[in-house]
Amino acid sequence: MDVKVFQFNGCKKCFNESLLLKEESKYKVEFVSDPKNWKGEKVDVSVITGYLLPNDLEHLGRIKNNSTKIIAYGGCTATGGVFALANQKGHEVTPLTNLVEINSNVHGCLGEIEELKLAIDGTEVPKLKSLCQVCSRKATCDYLESINRQIELEDSETCFNDLGFLCSGFTATECKEKCIDYNTPCRGCKPSIDRSGIRMLAMFGTLAGNIEIATEHSVKGATDKLGDEDDDLTDSLPDVVGNFFRFTLPTSGFPKGRIPSSGSLLEDVFIGRLIEEIPLITGLLGGAKSVSLTLKFIESYEKANQIEVSEQTKKYRNELLQLESDLSKAIESEDASKYKEITDKIRFIAGNMNLSNVFFGGFKSIIDPNDDFNNYKSHVFDVVEGTYKNGSIEYTLDQTGIITEIKISEELL
Amino acid sequence: MSNCEVPDEYVQERINNIVVFMCNECGQGSANTAGVARMAYDAAIRIIRVQCTGQVGPIQIMEALTNGADAVACVGCCLGACHFFNGNIISMHRIKLMKKVFKELGYSDEFVNQYTSRAAEGETAVGDFEDIIDRLTTAITEKGTIKDGC
Repeated sequence: MDVKVFQFNGCKKCFNESLLLKEESKYKVEFVSDPKNWKGEKVDVSVITGYLLPNDLEHLGRIKNNSTKIIAYGGCTATGGVFALANQKGHEVTPLTNLVEINSNVHGCLGEIEELKLAIDGTEVPKLKSLCQVCSRKATCDYLESINRQIELEDSETCFNDLGFLCSGFTATECKEKCIDYNTPCRGCKPSIDRSGIRMLAMFGTLAGNIEIATEHSVKGATDKLGDEDDDLTDSLPDVVGNFFRFTLPTSGFPKGRIPSSGSLLEDVFIGRLIEEIPLITGLLGGAKSVSLTLKFIESYEKANQIEVSEQTKKYRNELLQLESDLSKAIESEDASKYKEITDKIRFIAGNMNLSNVFFGGFKSIIDPNDDFNNYKSHVFDVVEGTYKNGSIEYTLDQTGIITEIKISEELL
Repeated sequence: MSNCEVPDEYVQERINNIVVFMCNECGQGSANTAGVARMAYDAAIRIIRVQCTGQVGPIQIMEALTNGADAVACVGCCLGACHFFNGNIISMHRIKLMKKVFKELGYSDEFVNQYTSRAAEGETAVGDFEDIIDRLTTAITEKGTIKDGC
């Protein structure tokens, strides 16, 4: 079976992952990293990866005309993905299904290769459980005492939402990346229902029913009404769009935002996000360079705020950097078995390919059961206002920890 | 001046459909009282009766907005007087989060809100309706609503 994998814009994580298709001899896989210059020839299955903009339609049309089957692989192609957060600033990242007719979507950041194989074969994907069903934490669904920033994640047996950390597991299906196993609340990249972000917002709004909320006297109605000013609820959730619509902003029914753009799509993804989200976002969109990009952000903050980093943390981080450069070589030589071997090693240290385990001051969960976790446990850190710089990246935080300005070039991906 | 600013004479044309979810107890009760007392209110107001405003959430609000509503409001019982338990408060939390989303996307948040009213006093419902229209007018003339993505 002829399979062609097309990479459009953004990070190449899913494109690289599709290298694993080569392990199966029944597929004749070819990779097209530059679909704009693709001449066009008949193909059985076209797999599209990367985020899409309306001006990609021309090239997508050519692919559509030449292929019998089209599959959207990965969160960016299926629902807009993390890059679609730039729509808040007026960009038009669009899911593939809004541009051309497709045969199936493979959700997830990173999209799962087993599901892609099933989609290529035309077999139906078995019904997946919801993430909460496979989660080891216990939920009570009591009203929250307070909503917490995801800075102070203590290991616990209790549901993230009950602890006041926003976890999108309610609206997600089980997955291979499984951030929840690495002390990271679910990001919601693999939604189990449509408009998952809005539903999660409703669910979390209900859970937060005991948090203080601003009301004011309505002069005309002579009764109380919901107030406009900030209150405990809005103060404890400084970035609602980035938290609830991390992967699904274009499919949520909102029009594109009108916040002034900084000019670059990549920078617009970062502006407005919280500092504790940054390692997760860079892990998501860094592609083959996600480790170095994530560590650049983390180290700049650690250095400026004198956050101590243990020797063992440094050792593990260097190991990750080494693995990253090995991975680039494996990708270049299109060596599927090497790729698998190295990604397994990265997963062992960083939890998953989204680097859920990597955080400020150390790691979020224990890596090797024989280690003493206290040697490299991540610290609770203070949000410090200021400008941080490390090599080619530079960013400014305000006092709530929101990124207000950033300089980062697309070449880093 | 934003590029979406609407001249005053066109504002009225933009106010056609305002969906108001009213709870079966105080909300709808006060609207009934207003009707008995023959109080007038704007023709753009479309009332949808629900058991409790706690039934209304972001999904219903977005459904209304994407299907042509210019503004959406909930009218429930007074604070502490929900006939169930705390449906009005829960609804307020959800609507507050919705308002934050609109704000973060760069739109006005004044076209969505929650009110309370008293079943015995029709003027509370009519006053709420007037306030909804006032706020929608502000939303249209200032930062814009999501209706036209402007």
